[in-house]
Amino acid sequence: MSEIKEYLRFNIVFRIQHVILFVTFLLLAFTGWSLKYPEPVLEHAGWWIRMWGGPKTAGLIHRIAGVTMLLDFLWHVLYLAYLLLTGRMKIRANTTIIPLPKDVLDLIQNMLYFFGLSRTKPKFGRFSYIHKFDYWAVFWGMGIIGLSGLALAFPTKAAYVFPEWSVNWIWELVAILHSDEALLAIVFILFWHFYNEHLKWDKFPMSMTWITGKISMEQLKHEHPLEYELEFGKAEGEKK
Amino acid sequence: MRKPFLLTVVVCSIILFTSLSYAETFVCLSCHSAIKGKLKTDKGIVDLHIDEERFSRSVHGGIECTICHKSFRENPHEQPKGDVPRKTIEMANLISSKATIDPVAMAACNDCHSEIFSSLLNSIHGKNIIDKKQKDGAFCIDCHGSPHYITNASSKESPVNKWRVVNTCGNCHEKEEISKKYNLGTHIIEKYNESFHGKKHILGHPGAPTCVDCHGYHDIKKWDDPMSPVSWERRVETCGKCHKGANKKFVTAITHKPIGRDNPIPYYAEKGLIVLTLSVFAFVVGHVLLEAFSEIRDRVFRKGKEDE
Repeated sequence: MSEIKEYLRFNIVFRIQHVILFVTFLLLAFTGWSLKYPEPVLEHAGWWIRMWGGPKTAGLIHRIAGVTMLLDFLWHVLYLAYLLLTGRMKIRANTTIIPLPKDVLDLIQNMLYFFGLSRTKPKFGRFSYIHKFDYWAVFWGMGIIGLSGLALAFPTKAAYVFPEWSVNWIWELVAILHSDEALLAIVFILFWHFYNEHLKWDKFPMSMTWITGKISMEQLKHEHPLEYELEFGKAEGEKK
Repeated sequence: MRKPFLLTVVVCSIILFTSLSYAETFVCLSCHSAIKGKLKTDKGIVDLHIDEERFSRSVHGGIECTICHKSFRENPHEQPKGDVPRKTIEMANLISSKATIDPVAMAACNDCHSEIFSSLLNSIHGKNIIDKKQKDGAFCIDCHGSPHYITNASSKESPVNKWRVVNTCGNCHEKEEISKKYNLGTHIIEKYNESFHGKKHILGHPGAPTCVDCHGYHDIKKWDDPMSPVSWERRVETCGKCHKGANKKFVTAITHKPIGRDNPIPYYAEKGLIVLTLSVFAFVVGHVLLEAFSEIRDRVFRKGKEDE
């Protein structure tokens, strides 16, 4: 197997979906930030909003980016459904993104390792609990921020959908949900995703996987030993 | 030889002409632009100073002082010629609770701006002065500033222009004692500034409504008065000016009420989200720091030795 140097982790469709996701995410975060903290006291709203073409243009960018992101999300879900239904993708314990009890054990094991209480790192499959957290956080955000965002972008349409008994609190609720969850998403990406995919010792300034979709065989063996075993057998792993 | 003569005639006639039409104002200002002090009377404090330059730039810069200052109650001045019209005196008596120093001059706004004046008298602000005889109902100068320096409502200096009017309303409506006295909502301006309308307004969005766009201005009514544009009876129509297709369920969106326990769902949702955000933040930052330290430890102290 030594002639294979690289291993395809994400196909072209996933890579395109990821690019659309992070471009729209950045646009949404940048334009939305000035609306969340518009106080001119901070001396930042002024030039920041002008950089995005003023409040009107920034609002338009925000709406277009938001709808694009939701469509991207929809595409992703439909694509996954297609892969599963045609049998191109199978749900297996060591390659799935679905959270399993093992992830909790991995987290505990990792904590023990961090504190020096254990000398063994947990063995991850295709997706570690770190990746799973990163991935499902987006789902959570899409649901909460996406739906509340739609209601805020098209409030008169949303008013027809909202039930009569909800109208005394739903408007406050969607505004709170949208802005607080957006802040949570920004904080999350800034720390979790940036550390794990950009700042880490062996990844700085970034992992190239988002362009090539590939990781080296070494990396696969090292970071995703269970997936390696699944694909190429245990032999090499045991030899050591 | 003839040219200097002609020039002298022209200059003299210009001076004569202007000084004739501004004769009275000119005389008043010769003292009042120089006096810098304020005068304490038993009715209140009178600012004696008139900034001549600002006065001449104002929309009233061209009219004579005695157009409004028709009489002087106790004074060092000679009374202007002619009696004060009965209509003005009646009006002055009506608003005397507000205008303690010179009700006649305040009533004089009515002489030129009678239509606006009568809608002001019918407003909640006006009725507070006329019916309830209160001192703190807003009248012309409370929003527009001193009549001596009034500029066009769209001008930069005007306190009622789009970018300053929220502050101007806030002069009274941000005060707790006013809210308490008249049983009005508290934190109204604050809640507006936190709303999407207010935030967009702060950012300079030209379409973002200010107080007056929804509540009206000269003929402003209390919000639960059926005549008010924000009453439940008229709110659909008012919101519909910008939000085409607004319906009854839509118009509950803006309340300017602080989110309290009386509205438990958003109240506890907000509290819950704060807890969620903080705990996710703590977990994420803690995990990242621990992992970073352990990586450094591995590289530096364990020399990159692979775990078995």
